[in-house]
Amino acid sequence: DPYARLLLEALKQSGCTVFNDRHFSCENCDGCVSGGFDAATSQIVLCQNNIRQQSHMNRVVTHELIHAFDHCRAHVDWFKNVKHLACSEIRAANLSGDCTLLNEIARFKFGLKGHHQTCVRDRAIRSILAVRKVSKEMAEKAVDEVFDACFNDLEPFGRIPHSKADAKRAYRDFQNRDRYNANL
Amino acid sequence: AGRVRPQPPRSCEDYWEEWKHCRGLRHAFHHYYAHGELPDCGRWREDYEACRAWERDRAAAAQVPGPLLACPGPCRPGLPGQKPRSLGVWKLRKSPPPDWYLPLD
Repeated sequence: DPYARLLLEALKQSGCTVFNDRHFSCENCDGCVSGGFDAATSQIVLCQNNIRQQSHMNRVVTHELIHAFDHCRAHVDWFKNVKHLACSEIRAANLSGDCTLLNEIARFKFGLKGHHQTCVRDRAIRSILAVRKVSKEMAEKAVDEVFDACFNDLEPFGRIPHSKADAKRAYRDFQNRDRYNANL
Repeated sequence: AGRVRPQPPRSCEDYWEEWKHCRGLRHAFHHYYAHGELPDCGRWREDYEACRAWERDRAAAAQVPGPLLACPGPCRPGLPGQKPRSLGVWKLRKSPPPDWYLPLD
């Protein structure tokens, strides 16, 4: 999958090579959670009882790899700073394909003009509430305060990948990044 | 003698392909869905022309006076090498997390 391939390469370049048996864990999870990133152990958890299609698996892996990438490249205070958590959740919802039009229609959420951003905001709030004991108001405030900065942080893709073709273009750009830096 | 412009980070064919992709219906739809407006694709075409000009300059071994490319390729946010917008939210690490490779208990 080109999304995962780019993220794995970006993680490696940032000094965080991913090893399947160390950094991934397949478990049974409560409720309808699909996965998570455990910053305490630097491990991605995939909820095997709640993922039934390959496309869903691809999206969950991408989503959690984005959290892992943020953990690798930045001092993210996952447990005490709600804004940090909000930022990574915004990025994960934005860049993983969580908020495609088809996925939203499947959730019976309809909208077109700029709806992607509405979806990203809502799913980020939902994710925060799923992992932290904060009020809805606090989650919404945190997301709104960092939304502009974090929605527009497109690392390592450089664009919002709306398809695998977009992800392949992003991967090509990522591989050529040394030429960007040389020009800088 | 003037300064030779640096090599564009993409091949000229890549700029052309990006321009065509940008102008396509599918991308226009996705951009409208994500940003609430239609995309501005003019910069890809400008960069394609600049890339071809660089190739011509190189072929003629010309010392072209003028500014170096201010932005490598298209100046869009989020390109590799540019500072991420989230810098105001968290600080970047200088090295990876020390426990990334530690074995699990």
